[in-house]
Amino acid sequence: MKNTLLLALGLTLSAAAINGPAGAAGASDGDAERQARWDEIAKSIFGARKIEPTDTLIQIDAPARALDAALVPITLTMPDKGRIKGVHFVIDDNPSPYAAHFRFGPAADPGELRLRVRINNYTNVHAVAELTDGRLVEATKFVKASGGCSAPMGMSDEEAMRGMGDMKMKFAESQPGKPLEATLMIRHPNFSGMQMNQVTRDYTPARYIQTVSVTYGGQTVFDLDGDISIASNPVINFALNPAGKGPITVAATDNQGGRWEHSFTAPSPSN
Amino acid sequence: MRRVPSAALRGATILAAALLLAAAPADSPLNVPEPDGIWTGPQHGYTPATLAGATVVDIAALDALMPGGPLLLDVAIADRKPQNFPADRPWLPAHRSVPGAVWMPNAGAAPTDPAHEALFYERVAALTGNDKGKVIVTFCHPDCWGSWNAAKRLVLKGYTRVHWFPEGIEGWQDKHETAVIKPDPAWAARAAGDAQR
Repeated sequence: MKNTLLLALGLTLSAAAINGPAGAAGASDGDAERQARWDEIAKSIFGARKIEPTDTLIQIDAPARALDAALVPITLTMPDKGRIKGVHFVIDDNPSPYAAHFRFGPAADPGELRLRVRINNYTNVHAVAELTDGRLVEATKFVKASGGCSAPMGMSDEEAMRGMGDMKMKFAESQPGKPLEATLMIRHPNFSGMQMNQVTRDYTPARYIQTVSVTYGGQTVFDLDGDISIASNPVINFALNPAGKGPITVAATDNQGGRWEHSFTAPSPSN
Repeated sequence: MRRVPSAALRGATILAAALLLAAAPADSPLNVPEPDGIWTGPQHGYTPATLAGATVVDIAALDALMPGGPLLLDVAIADRKPQNFPADRPWLPAHRSVPGAVWMPNAGAAPTDPAHEALFYERVAALTGNDKGKVIVTFCHPDCWGSWNAAKRLVLKGYTRVHWFPEGIEGWQDKHETAVIKPDPAWAARAAGDAQR
């Protein structure tokens, strides 16, 4: 038993070493600085609430090195989904670190969430799960990406805003009694306010999705509070409780008064 | 946009570009001519491979300079808080850079207020102890003209051991840990007019 524990500890430590920032010199200083940063952010979001580390209740999957810092795919896995009430996602070194807060309702199957974010610098990211018993648990991962918050979209603002608020929802093939996986796509530039027009040297004002509320047959799937750290044209993968039925509605708002609502029909399970 | 392609990708790009060199257009990464003096065009974009009067260094060359205690000048633009950013959300910008660097955000901007240019020269004179032969390294991010311009300004002012590190903070953090640094106080105190430009 003792040996197993030691082995597990050793594995955890070596995993931390692999995931940690590549520091030839002063790595421990760097780690302390990153921890202090996280403590500061955690305090600003959660106040004095205790956050316990977890290896099992929530896990983060993200590329160790992102191909595109403006579009970094994040997968959050919550295997013990009955205990998950909500999820906070934090990108420590982004100037606006608090990227997303999901609150799940009875029509959700909170086993897995996927979203795409902007990452400004080589950074730790944290996922904090809020449990049904009120506890907070955290997982962390180091991600190498740089410049995502200020990356221009490569088109004019007008083009980027075309069709703003349009939505699509795709469903994975459904099976009776199994969670129904859905992908919500919202057309919206989610301007960070940090993107500069290289010719005029003006900044495009921040215009980002502030809230997304999804319901299934009148019951809440999730409510999301968004941020400028979410990538343009937000894509969110989530799952619906198989017991639900009825129309799926999505209502989204942005920080400039935009408000959009769409309704979708879930496919009936095939056998 | 400071996305850094992987070394392999960059290598492949360079190889491909080398094969096409004869036909390379003026805006390709391999064929950017040095401007006549300070570059006043878009501050983000392909930069020249050279800087007359200065030495262009890669991370290995920078590592070799480090024991000599060079003056490290970071001119990266500061993260700009969106004007309409909600007051109730955390806004906690932290600038990560080469440990020990002096950060003068956007000191490579051009055109710029002559007073800011004068302050830049004043600060460098103070930081080098009026030694025009001091080893100086300027950097910001890849594809950032700011550090090219900052180095150029120093060359034009008669500094003799100016180095330009185009890989910038990304090149450094790929190999070493970074440190959170604050802007140089004297530079930060300048009129905020084009502080964000």
